[in-house]
Amino acid sequence: MNFGYTEEEEKYRKRLNEFLDEHMTEEIARQNWEDLGVGPEAREFSKKLYENGFLGLPWPKEYGGGGLSPTYDFILIDELGKRWGAHVPLDVGYTMTGHTILRRGSEEMKKEFIPRIIRGEIEFGLGYTEPNAGSDLGAMMMKAEDMGDYFLINGQKTFNTESHYADYHWLAARTELDPSKPKYKGISLFIVDQRAEGIDIRPMITMSDERTNEVYYDDVKVPKSRLVGEKNKGFYYIMEAIDSERNHVFVPARLWPIVDEMITYVKETSFQGKPLAADPDVQAKIAQMAIELEVAQMLADNARWLELNELPMTMEPEITKVMISELEQRMVDDAMQILGLYGQLDEKSKWTPLRGRIEWFYLHSFMPTIGAGTSEIGRNVIAQRGLGLPRG
Amino acid sequence: MDFNFTDEQKMLRDSARGFCEKMSPMGYVLEMEKSEKGYTPELWNAMVELGWMGLIIPEEYGGVGMGFMDLIVLLEEMGRMCVPGPFFSTVILGGYTLLTGGSEEQKNEYLPRIAAGELVFSFAYTEPGMIKFDPSHVTVTAKAEGESFVIDGTKLFVSDANVADFIIVSARTSGEANDKKGISLFLVDAKDPGISITQLSTLAGDKQCEVVFKGVTVPKANLIGALDDGWSVMEKVMLYASVGKCAEMVGGSMRVLDLVLDYCHQRVQFGKPIGVFQAVQHHCANMAINLQGSKFITYKAAWMLDEGMPATRICASAKAWVSEAYKRFVILGHQVFAGTGFMVEHEMPMYSRRARAAELAFGDAPYYRKVVAQDLKLG
Repeated sequence: MNFGYTEEEEKYRKRLNEFLDEHMTEEIARQNWEDLGVGPEAREFSKKLYENGFLGLPWPKEYGGGGLSPTYDFILIDELGKRWGAHVPLDVGYTMTGHTILRRGSEEMKKEFIPRIIRGEIEFGLGYTEPNAGSDLGAMMMKAEDMGDYFLINGQKTFNTESHYADYHWLAARTELDPSKPKYKGISLFIVDQRAEGIDIRPMITMSDERTNEVYYDDVKVPKSRLVGEKNKGFYYIMEAIDSERNHVFVPARLWPIVDEMITYVKETSFQGKPLAADPDVQAKIAQMAIELEVAQMLADNARWLELNELPMTMEPEITKVMISELEQRMVDDAMQILGLYGQLDEKSKWTPLRGRIEWFYLHSFMPTIGAGTSEIGRNVIAQRGLGLPRG
Repeated sequence: MDFNFTDEQKMLRDSARGFCEKMSPMGYVLEMEKSEKGYTPELWNAMVELGWMGLIIPEEYGGVGMGFMDLIVLLEEMGRMCVPGPFFSTVILGGYTLLTGGSEEQKNEYLPRIAAGELVFSFAYTEPGMIKFDPSHVTVTAKAEGESFVIDGTKLFVSDANVADFIIVSARTSGEANDKKGISLFLVDAKDPGISITQLSTLAGDKQCEVVFKGVTVPKANLIGALDDGWSVMEKVMLYASVGKCAEMVGGSMRVLDLVLDYCHQRVQFGKPIGVFQAVQHHCANMAINLQGSKFITYKAAWMLDEGMPATRICASAKAWVSEAYKRFVILGHQVFAGTGFMVEHEMPMYSRRARAAELAFGDAPYYRKVVAQDLKLG
């Protein structure tokens, strides 16, 4: 066993951190997180990441990548996460859809999209969930009719988080309309210009003040060349991508800022003449955060290692997802308890500690146990796919 | 990064698994819990035959010269079948104490005999006054008299002292009860007439003892490490011991999960195997999460120790987390087995009793959270 990084990888991490020291601001970090949404600063930062040689290292050389190990992207995501950055600014394209294009897209599609994804120029919005297709994604009803030269798409999506700033919609829609056919075998994936005629995007605001969207399609025409891979295979493409996506999206490093901020706070804040850091209860809470993050990191490292070596993943990325999403809730609870009355103040208030970041994290922490599959669906996957228990 | 065991480690695991299943079935384990000695010479001798006593002892001292990660493989398998006996006390506590702090003479004298399975060691470091776990709480005294030290006082919760040939004891040679400086380690003949040993009756049926020292005289040559600096040796040994204990817990978890999954397929209620029910599936999923987390944090800690990296925080994190994960784990196991697992002749209680004992051994979760907090420069 070996849990270290190579000398080259460590050199890359060092160079990256020097770059981030200079260019990464909290504004950009928060645009990377959904709470502010990607704006001009994050887009500019995305281009700088590429220009300075930090984007695309593991991607194939023929499309402008570096042809190296995916470890480099994991290091990039980890280091951004440690600075409240969560992920690369245009992360749906870079960590999710881009990989499916590489796996399943036509040569023409790869040439059109991959170089721009690597250069940090374009973003996709995920178009999966519908009002009646949440955990049961196969129940989606959005309709894509094959009109010979193009597909004609009608219907409604919901919780499409990136659509208001994304350039493209990564849309799953039903292409097999015969209800007697199995529902999983009738879905296809499309790349749609997010600003195409007939698309209406309406904001939905979350409790943590993040924007997500309803997206309506009214007779939207999509060229045949924008069908990803084969018709009616979309559901399987979504499923085959899910493990790698979890490995890239559910990253323990992004919770380290909570620990770092809390350590600073308890050292600088005193009660009855003693720093909070000397309080055994406070010590135990912060130590437990660090311990659990260490465990979560090992779970993530194991799942990444399987991916890097193209070994089968059954439950490993799901275990990471369930663990760190629930860990976020425990951490935030402990952090809020340490902050006491002050923990309820938001960033706009007088007297707010830690710029209101913990208060925001509390609101945000209800999402990861739901988004991208609830913890309950996750546990079904672990039990059935991982442990071989029968489906009910 | 590489999460694979080496081929050699895989072979070691396979042979250890077969051996432990054959030599230490439940009936044997329960019988040994009740016995005075706690194990049989047949088991011990068979382990000696396999070279396990010398696994981590360098070849120059008659051992096999393998690393801590190799030992982890073995401890996992032993924990999986709850293999009884003084292996841990002898090889990990005795072995690593001598390897870390022993003089060349001491190593030459004792390590080959440990490797040959001729000696049983016990490590006496906990005391009646240790209401909260803190190995720096040492009140047993060792006073210099001429060329000897005279040891007086009581140690408690001393594993395997009842069968030990030698006891390594932490004693105060200067300073106050909780000073880290002023603790010294001595190697004492367990058969010394000044030593009286009383077995305690424990939850897990393991052999823990009260050891009373009355005017026990040991020659200065039996000091392990420097005078007043036994702590630096103990601290290192505690890292190996706590991670080794984690490996036993991981092994126990692996076994319980196997048993639980079998039961999920076999037990039928409402006309279906209970494994189809989501409430049961979620218990199993939670067990898997606890097991995977326990495994990898244990391996990471063992790897860092083997690599000679600063390992205090990772070892403390491992012992804190695995101890609590294992407790959660056995509670879930009991829920799946329900009434049948509550019976004394079922395997489940063997593991749930050991989960408690394992948390307490070498420091519980609250203790190791304090260690992590210190490492984070809090307080």
